[in-house]
Formats: sequence, structure tokens, C-alpha cells
Amino acid sequence: MTTQVTQVTVTELATLMKQAAGVTVDPHDLERRADTPFAEFGLDSLGLLGIVGELENRHGRALPTDAERCKSPRAFLDLVNGALATGV
Amino acid sequence: MSGRATRRTAVTGIGVVAPNGLHAETYWKNVKDGTSVLDRVTREGCEHLPLRVAGEVRGFDAAALIEETFLVQTDKFTHFALAAADAALQDAGLSQAAWAEAPYSVGVVTAAGSGGGEFGQRELQKLWGKGSRFVGPYQSIAWFYAASTGQISIRKGFKGPCSVVAADEAGGLDAVAHAARAVHRGTDVIVVGAAEAPLAPYSGVCQLGYPELSTEADPARAYRPFTSAACGFVPAEGGAVLVVESLDRARRRDADVRATVAGHAATFTGASRWDRSREGLAQAVRVALDEAGCAPEEIDVVFADALGVPEADRAEALALADALGAHGTRVPVTAPKAGIGRSYCGAPMLDIVAAVQAMEHGLIPPTPGVFDICHDIDLVTSSARPADLRTALVLSRGLMGSNAALVLRRGDASAV
Repeated sequence: MTTQVTQVTVTELATLMKQAAGVTVDPHDLERRADTPFAEFGLDSLGLLGIVGELENRHGRALPTDAERCKSPRAFLDLVNGALATGV
Repeated sequence: MSGRATRRTAVTGIGVVAPNGLHAETYWKNVKDGTSVLDRVTREGCEHLPLRVAGEVRGFDAAALIEETFLVQTDKFTHFALAAADAALQDAGLSQAAWAEAPYSVGVVTAAGSGGGEFGQRELQKLWGKGSRFVGPYQSIAWFYAASTGQISIRKGFKGPCSVVAADEAGGLDAVAHAARAVHRGTDVIVVGAAEAPLAPYSGVCQLGYPELSTEADPARAYRPFTSAACGFVPAEGGAVLVVESLDRARRRDADVRATVAGHAATFTGASRWDRSREGLAQAVRVALDEAGCAPEEIDVVFADALGVPEADRAEALALADALGAHGTRVPVTAPKAGIGRSYCGAPMLDIVAAVQAMEHGLIPPTPGVFDICHDIDLVTSSARPADLRTALVLSRGLMGSNAALVLRRGDASAV
């Protein structure tokens, strides 16, 4: 079985934050401040939930329920990409 | 609520987003001139509906006034409320710094009749078109009638008492009374208002079942209250937001007291029971006057509900006579909304604004598009009538049976 692992990049997350929650953030800034809480970027919990839903639709699979509770971009990307890579 | 309490509630700020003006000053100019802005409905997806004429808010640039983070999670009805709240706070001379140190001193009250229909429709289309996984999470808050109260308080950082009045169209007046009570209980400032956005396909269809809805296609004939040609009302978008605070506090901070809220009462007489609204409206007027400590003869102008349904118009004219006695047929009555349409809960809020502005300018605005009155009231038509206005009575009724009356007294800076 061949599995193509698609990773969610910081740039993609920045685009999703804009699209799903109206938060404008420069991808480089997001990368540099990857441990800064989402709230400081202006992203609320419903906004993150919308991003999770969008990623689930794109990848055609459910993500761990913890994804929508991640506090920072790094925690979120680590969790999501880990799940996508392992298929768990 | 005791009359003493309400008499000490000052209106210190006004913000308007209306079909006839995106600012309070523009609104007043058009109201004073009796300009009608009723026009054919142009909203996408509404062209085929038998609802032909409405008061659309045009030229409102939400993106220029509201941050994108708020825009994506709110419906147009909340955009109007957010913009009007900004204008009201600015008018009241209240800056962010004024409440940043005391966030619990400011609360929010809004009234809502229809909620966020356009946003809700968009998400429901995703639900049935693509599936539940495609419905955005903001659907859970955006179309809810409480959205505007929540978003105003979140955006501004207000942590004082917040509420939503869902009491039919007349709830616009009830919200102001509720705000006055909150001030009396000790909150420094309440941001109170109502704005609606009922002109979208889903919202439009929801209104088609109202027998009172005008389906006349000619804007000049669609909404003519108190005439023998009355054929119902036309809906509208928009509304207004006020800043209210205790009179003592307003004077202490040297704010411009534009008017005071003197008395209010609400009654209920059943959906579309317009014959019975006579009794309900009259009782609301009596109790509001009593609370205001106001004799019928002191009422200088009445802003009528003016539904435009013959039976309802008759009931309102008779209610004025019932409650005000002989003065009921002599007091000048007006209905600026005949040129704007009825933005449900936003309609009585816009009437409050017009009443305050009328007292400030010593001018009773006319009822646009109305000439031959078939009821025994002194309806001001054609052009504004100069008058020394100390006290105004604002009336409102809802299609579901609510009736309300609000008594306003002139503020400090008004014309003498």
C-alpha cells in the first residue's frame, strides 16, 4: 500500500486562519511565533474548529478531537501532521 | 420599574444605520425633509418574491467599518449593529479609555426579531448541498438573535450586564426600558439598540406568510399608513443604537444629554388581532404616561406605529383617543417610517432617534407619501411642522401581538 503523506505547512495554516476566521497573519511571522497562543493572533476556538473542519474535508478523514483544543500553531501542526503521517 | 428610575436615564449617544442614512445626521435630514427611500427589492435571490418593495440599506461598506475577524463570524444584521454602536459611543464621547479600566461598568442590550437570516441560509445550503461537515462553526452564533449583543460586548470589551430582548417588533422599545432598569440597578452605561437585515431570500420567504406584508410593486403606493389606500407595510433593513446612562452620571461627566427616557409600558394582545391592539396600545400609553408622571396634554408629538393595515391604523388612532382623551385627536402624529419601511425591532429604535432629533430641532418631521388621512388624528404630512417639543411618545406594535409605548423628554441642549 502506498500512502501519500500530505503535510500541513505553516503557510497553509496562515491561509486557513484568514479564510476560516478572518485573521490576517504573515506566514513567516506565524512560523517565528509558532509557540504563541492562537488567541494572541486573534483566532478564537470556533475559528480553530472551522480550520479543523476544513482540513478534515480536504484530507477526507477525521482528525484527533484534541486538534481543536491546541493552544499554539506548533502544537496544532505537530498534532495534525502526526495524525496525517501515521494515519491514526 | 419606578418612574423615578427611568426619569433619570439620559440618552447621550446615537448611532444610525438606516435605508435613508448611514449616519444620524443624514438620517435626520431625510426624515425632516420627508424623503422616501422605498424602492424595489434588489437583493440577489429576492427578485422573484412577491415582496416587491422595501427599504434597503445601500452603500454600507462593512469591510471599511468592521474588522475581518468579526465580519466572518457575523451576519449583516450584526454588522449594522456594530457600526451603529461605534457611532453611538463616539457621539456619547466615550472612548475605549473610558471603560478600559472599568469594563464591568458598561453593558449591552439589543432587541432582535429575525436574526441572521442571510448567514444562516448560506450555511444551510452547505448542509443540504455538501453535508454537515461543511457547515462552519460560526453558524452556531451568527444567526442567533443574541449575536449582536454578544459581538458588541466582545468587540468593545464590555463586561457589564448583557441581554437580548426578543419581544417582537415592539421589543425595540422594551430594550430601551430594560437598559434604563440596568442603569437604575447601578450599571454606568448601557449600549442599547436594534438593527435587522430581513432582506435575503430565506428571510424574505419567512415574511411572505404575514397577511400584513405589502406586495404592492409601486414604491409610491406600497406603504401608506392612515390612508384609505393602506395595503400593508414594507420591511426594511437597519436600525439604531443608543448610549444611555444615569442623568447624574451624564451631568457629572458633562455629556450632552440629548433626551431622557421617562416612561415605558408593554402589553400583549395576540398575533394579528389588530382590533384588540387598540386596547393594548391604549393601556401601554396610560402606564407609560403614569410612570413618566406625564399628563396626556404634555405629549407634544406622537411617533406612531403606523402599520399601514386599515384595521390596525384604526385601532391605533382610537387608542390615542382612548389614552389621551381629547388631546388624542389634537396632538401631532407622525410616521417617518412610511418613507423608510419597518426594520422590525430596528423600526421603533429609529423612531426614538427621530423623536430625539425632532425635540432637538423643534421640528416635527412629516409622514412621507401620505396625504389623505382617513382617521381622526392630526397626522403631519408634506413638510416638517415647527413646534416646541418637550415630550414625545413613541408607539410600536409587533405582528405577533406585542404593543409598547415609550415617553421621551427633551434633553438639555434642545431648542427652546
